[in-house]
Amino acid sequence: MDRTNRFWRIVLLALPLTVFGVLVVWPLFTSFYYSFTNWNGFNESYDYVGFDNFRKIWTDHLFYGAIVNTAIWMVAAIFGPTVLGLTLALLLDTNIRGAKIFKTIFYLPICLSSIVVGQIWIWIYQPDWGLLNTMIESVSGEKFNFAWLARPNSALYSVIIAWSWQQTGLAMVVYLAGLTSVPSDLLEVCAIEGASTWQRIRRVILPLLTPSTVVVIALSMINSLKGFDILYIMTGGGPFNSSDTLAMFMYNESFKKYLMGYGSAISVVLFLIALTIIGVYFRQLKKVDEIYG
Amino acid sequence: MANLTRRGLLASAVCVPAASVFSSAFAAGGEVTISHYFTGELGLKAFDAQIARFEAATGYSMKDSPVGHEDYKTDILVRAAGNSLPDVFSYWAGARVQFIVDSNSLRPIDDVWKAAGLDKTIARSIAESATIYNDKRYLVPLNYHYAGVFYNTSVLADAGVTEMPTDWDGFLALCKTLKDKGVTPIALGSKNRWPAQFWFDYLLLRTAGPDYRARLMAGDASYDDPEVRKAIEMWKSLIDAGYFVENANADTWTDAADKVARGDAAMTLMGTWITGYWDGLGLEPGGDYDFFAFPTIDANVPNTSVGPVDGLVISANAKNVPGAEAFLEFMVSNVEVQADWSKAQGALSANVNVDPSNYSPVMYKAFQTVADSQAFAFNYDLATAPPVAEVGLSMFARFMDDPSQVETILPQVASDAKAAFAQ
Repeated sequence: MDRTNRFWRIVLLALPLTVFGVLVVWPLFTSFYYSFTNWNGFNESYDYVGFDNFRKIWTDHLFYGAIVNTAIWMVAAIFGPTVLGLTLALLLDTNIRGAKIFKTIFYLPICLSSIVVGQIWIWIYQPDWGLLNTMIESVSGEKFNFAWLARPNSALYSVIIAWSWQQTGLAMVVYLAGLTSVPSDLLEVCAIEGASTWQRIRRVILPLLTPSTVVVIALSMINSLKGFDILYIMTGGGPFNSSDTLAMFMYNESFKKYLMGYGSAISVVLFLIALTIIGVYFRQLKKVDEIYG
Repeated sequence: MANLTRRGLLASAVCVPAASVFSSAFAAGGEVTISHYFTGELGLKAFDAQIARFEAATGYSMKDSPVGHEDYKTDILVRAAGNSLPDVFSYWAGARVQFIVDSNSLRPIDDVWKAAGLDKTIARSIAESATIYNDKRYLVPLNYHYAGVFYNTSVLADAGVTEMPTDWDGFLALCKTLKDKGVTPIALGSKNRWPAQFWFDYLLLRTAGPDYRARLMAGDASYDDPEVRKAIEMWKSLIDAGYFVENANADTWTDAADKVARGDAAMTLMGTWITGYWDGLGLEPGGDYDFFAFPTIDANVPNTSVGPVDGLVISANAKNVPGAEAFLEFMVSNVEVQADWSKAQGALSANVNVDPSNYSPVMYKAFQTVADSQAFAFNYDLATAPPVAEVGLSMFARFMDDPSQVETILPQVASDAKAAFAQ
């Protein structure tokens, strides 16, 4: 390698690597360290408690609730936007009138911050005068004031709907880009040969959209793992921990109960889960790459 | 009009901000950093006005960073962990201050207290209960609040209520009268959980008494004791009778206050800060709203008032200690500051030199009620250790959601609280 080239590579990589090291790698290792302590986040002194925090995790009923919620969140947050985004892309790719306007409208939520989206949906779900209950009232003709975000059975799903509303635009744009690479002559041949719309989608379009699907699922997965802010603003993990995901649970234990050691142990578990999921995903990605080049 | 060259404009652009930075940094006493939770409806404008008074009187420059009430609880922890606490910050007296005193994050203020003669300025009951931790003084009380049953006067008048209840039977009769008239008797906004705590506090204090409550708060009693069970059962009887608003967990305390102000509900158990909020909406104290003390349940149990004390503390690593100490002394000793601040915030002043006639009729009644009480107790989340308070606050929200689960909730909370105390 050219010596000047190597020099510039080192120089240009030094800054981002340092930032990454300080902001990501170092906190990661300190989390591992604190997970073996009873540090409360305040005191300068703390004790080494071995695997006590990890033992506590397995007996903590709130942890199991958080695990189940995380699984629901990830599955819904991946499949919801993917399916909706694909459906919208297929509908808008048919040259319907005003397609550009619709594309802009559906993409708009992704430009908003999750906090703004969360606040909009808090208003939509407001029991007494929110849009949703008002609409249900208009249709049913009866008073309806269900508190979507304040009931344990509906809080998590209500947030997932808000999340999917925001993320669908991103999936739609990726699929629309993918659809431009589907050869129109191939679709014409299908039509001439008498293939139905569903057959064209199922047998031709979807297989050709596999690279787009890989990207959409990757983005949805990464975003769902990071999906903390919308949950924080809409429910804060409540009511009474019913919408706690692992990230929310970790935050509440660390910063509200002041159990930083225990919170660190939860973060280690969350890290291992994320690592496993991403590992499995990359293995699948490699297979797709081998097929599609 | 004078001609402005591009060079001149550039020079101005650089010099003006620089001058403002230098002027604050080199103000007579230097810069004092402060953080507090008096935002929005909790008195941001009034607090800023008192800061301006301090700056004008002393020459110190205050660098202010307010944080919303709920986020503040976490914000201070994060800043303490990173050794980046401001010089001065507001905090709730009680278990929360004890927690950060134990972590050596605060600077003792015994010298300031003595030099300023605050023993003669601060009400003795507040000074003894709110300022001393581990045998040293750490906090000056900026103001205190009292939790009472605040009501819409016209709603009660329309229902034919002329006399406010003083005992439990009278309270139940009032609720029934209102309910029969088609008015929801009690508004509660427990979305952020803490507004529900006053029901637990008063029901427990009025039945089991302050000594038992203090033992429960310290971890020497259990949440599945008969005393706690009795208080919760009384609370449940009110919910089962349909006296509380629907969806309490969906509302904030201001939503509940709005419901009472609009007449959608008759009353709400809340701290005196609700008067600041209602006054801000243009309601007339004594005319549009009033309050009565939480009724007596057992005449043999000492009459205790509940409320928080807002205080100011100095961080252990304060950069400008003289400035921070001067600010604490000024804010608590200056009678005009105390009078204006307590009036604007809907609070009671801990400064005995503040003329009670400064208060609105409602606040004066609150002042008298606290003075006539046999004891003053911090509300739940300031009376017990923060990790335990988290367990209890979640219990209140869960209970409000489904009171029929009380037999499941109490043993679970007893176990979780015990574990939290152990940590």
